[in-house]
Amino acid sequence: MRLSLVNREKLFAASLLTPCFLFVVLFAFYPIIYSCYLSMHKIILSLPYLGQPFVGFENYKELLNDTHAYSSLINTLIFVFTTTFFEILFGLVIALVINKHFRGRGVVRAAILVPWAIPTVVSSQMWRFMFNDKYGLVNYLLYGADTSAYTAWLASPEMAFAAIIAADVWKTSSFAGLLILAGLQLIPDDLYEAAKIDGASAWQQFTKITLPLIKPAILIALLFRTMDAFRVFDLVFVMTQGGPADATNVLQFYGYKKIFAEGMMGYGSTISVMVFFVTLIISLVYIKVIGTRLFQERG
Amino acid sequence: MKKLRLFNISCCLVLICLMVMISAVGCAKNDEDRTTIRFVTWKPNIQAAWDEILEIFEDEYPDIKVIREIGPHSSTAFHDLLTQKLKNKSTDVDVFLMDVIWPPEFGAAGWAMPLDDLFPASEQQKFLEGPLLANSYKGKTYGVPLFIDSGVLYYRKDLLDKYKFTPPKTWDEMVIQADIITTNEMRHDDTELYGFSGQFKQYEGLVCDMMEYILSNGGTILNGDTGKSGLAQKPALDAVRFVRNKIIGRAAPKGVLTYQEPESLDLFIQGKAVFHRNWPYAWRVSNNSEKSRVAGKVGISVLPHFEGGRSYSALGGWQVGVSRYSENKEAAWVFASFLTSSRVQKILALKAGRAPTRKDLYSDEDILKANPHFHDMKDVFITAYPRPGTPLYPAVSNVLQRYFSKAISGSRINIKREGRAAAKEIEKLIAMEKH
Repeated sequence: MRLSLVNREKLFAASLLTPCFLFVVLFAFYPIIYSCYLSMHKIILSLPYLGQPFVGFENYKELLNDTHAYSSLINTLIFVFTTTFFEILFGLVIALVINKHFRGRGVVRAAILVPWAIPTVVSSQMWRFMFNDKYGLVNYLLYGADTSAYTAWLASPEMAFAAIIAADVWKTSSFAGLLILAGLQLIPDDLYEAAKIDGASAWQQFTKITLPLIKPAILIALLFRTMDAFRVFDLVFVMTQGGPADATNVLQFYGYKKIFAEGMMGYGSTISVMVFFVTLIISLVYIKVIGTRLFQERG
Repeated sequence: MKKLRLFNISCCLVLICLMVMISAVGCAKNDEDRTTIRFVTWKPNIQAAWDEILEIFEDEYPDIKVIREIGPHSSTAFHDLLTQKLKNKSTDVDVFLMDVIWPPEFGAAGWAMPLDDLFPASEQQKFLEGPLLANSYKGKTYGVPLFIDSGVLYYRKDLLDKYKFTPPKTWDEMVIQADIITTNEMRHDDTELYGFSGQFKQYEGLVCDMMEYILSNGGTILNGDTGKSGLAQKPALDAVRFVRNKIIGRAAPKGVLTYQEPESLDLFIQGKAVFHRNWPYAWRVSNNSEKSRVAGKVGISVLPHFEGGRSYSALGGWQVGVSRYSENKEAAWVFASFLTSSRVQKILALKAGRAPTRKDLYSDEDILKANPHFHDMKDVFITAYPRPGTPLYPAVSNVLQRYFSKAISGSRINIKREGRAAAKEIEKLIAMEKH
């Protein structure tokens, strides 16, 4: 029996897609499903005699009443909003600067990406040391040799939180900048020439031409940054371990502690599943918004 | 039909096993092939001592090859790494170090092998009681104590002599002495001097430090028999309040809220603190003239207590355990018992300043010469108080760390309410164990 041309084409396409599909199933779907499975069970590694009973949504009920989870959710949200806001803002500035033609632009472009290229664990260590109360660079810049005025930045709950935000903004602004730069480069120069002839000021050019045209790029940067910021972990792990006073405890770190330190596989997985769903919802909203925008612009 | 096949398969398996065993025996005779065991340990403070110990072992037991897997220095991070391996029943771990708080967890989870047959009562008698107790859970022993830690107070002998003070007996006395010394010293020139340095970051060490304040005020953290927590009672609350009002930002710089052992010791050996709470290892570091500016000026004493209480030291220290999933349990035990033998403990005492867990070593002349403070501190080591012993200790500890850090980091926190909430949470955890 011979297949028709269409069916052969379909079969070929399917055979090309299969490896990729299997990869996604194995490395993305399986862990997610398994986490969901774990989250419906009560599993405590150090109490094996309790067995691994199925408890339905009990873990989720417990999570809703967990004040520490609630405060770490609030911490995470504050972190997400402030870091994405500043990262997009600085990213925009960075993109505008490195989009201009000037001497040494290549060097500047490369230099700006350095923070993003450093592994987070390394840069977190660096920032932890910069905020050190006795030898930190931040203290030195502010107070010089007057060591009596040196502040223990990471010792105050509010400042420690601000320090983590600063470290994240420093690290990922350039990534946002890179995405926005891609959008900037798509804008044809004739638009600016036409605007100049019409006598538009630089500010008008920016608000009427640049900003509307890079909106999709900004939205994509926003999407990436929000999702990434929601899963913040390494900065907290290295810089503060959630302290002081639990002020820098974020959801992912809380879940990590439940699973890895306390051995509460079921409850810890519940937290991970919640983080998964929240990021999923955020990304769906963004994709919907970005999709309609692009559609409108084309239309 | 099916049964027959099963029989065939098992026959094959037995055959294969036999062949492997025979070839293994053949290899062992060959001398070339040694049993390899993996020893999971942390990065030691004094590397040379450990290198020496392993060299001796390899000399004396040429059949056994030890591969060291170096984990992180922090107990919490080390715990995460080690339990990750044991959780997955990894055969890559044969012998490991255990912090004093882990044996109940490792025993209950079935990660550590019960050692009662290999480590008989006659041998156990030679060890200090506190650490032995910490290694047992539900009547079984899961580790052999390697060295013992207990909180002690270091002080600047020169400064205390100068102001004619004797080492403080109570915490209030310590704060007053610290205040007088720092105010006067700082008046002379622009020296930077604080009264006290300790460990108050949100991590395991915070539990040890705070426990010493609470117990020395007659309070409790957890009653193992009733499963009730004493955190919300007056002695415990008063002790926590004392730390918040008199220590953090007063006697000690506010930075101690970010300090673990190394940072707090650093302040002391830089000559910037009058008093310092740490484990016995700090004695050798602070008297090492290459590293320390206060070498020779350091005194050591039992920790202060509150009026009407008595001094308590948190029991710390490390144990040697054998993995239940080890494929070379015999060789693993040979190594474990070597590590905890008198002579290795002596090397650790002489070279690394670690306090032994074997009683008779406290009358060993060489050890006392190198660590003169061991003589006076023996009682402290013997009476050091363990942290709550439960398989859920990591969860209990996280509750404690969170509560203590909240209570001492900000002045706006209602300690009574937080204490009550923490006590309730701990009681809930302990109740889970009983189900």
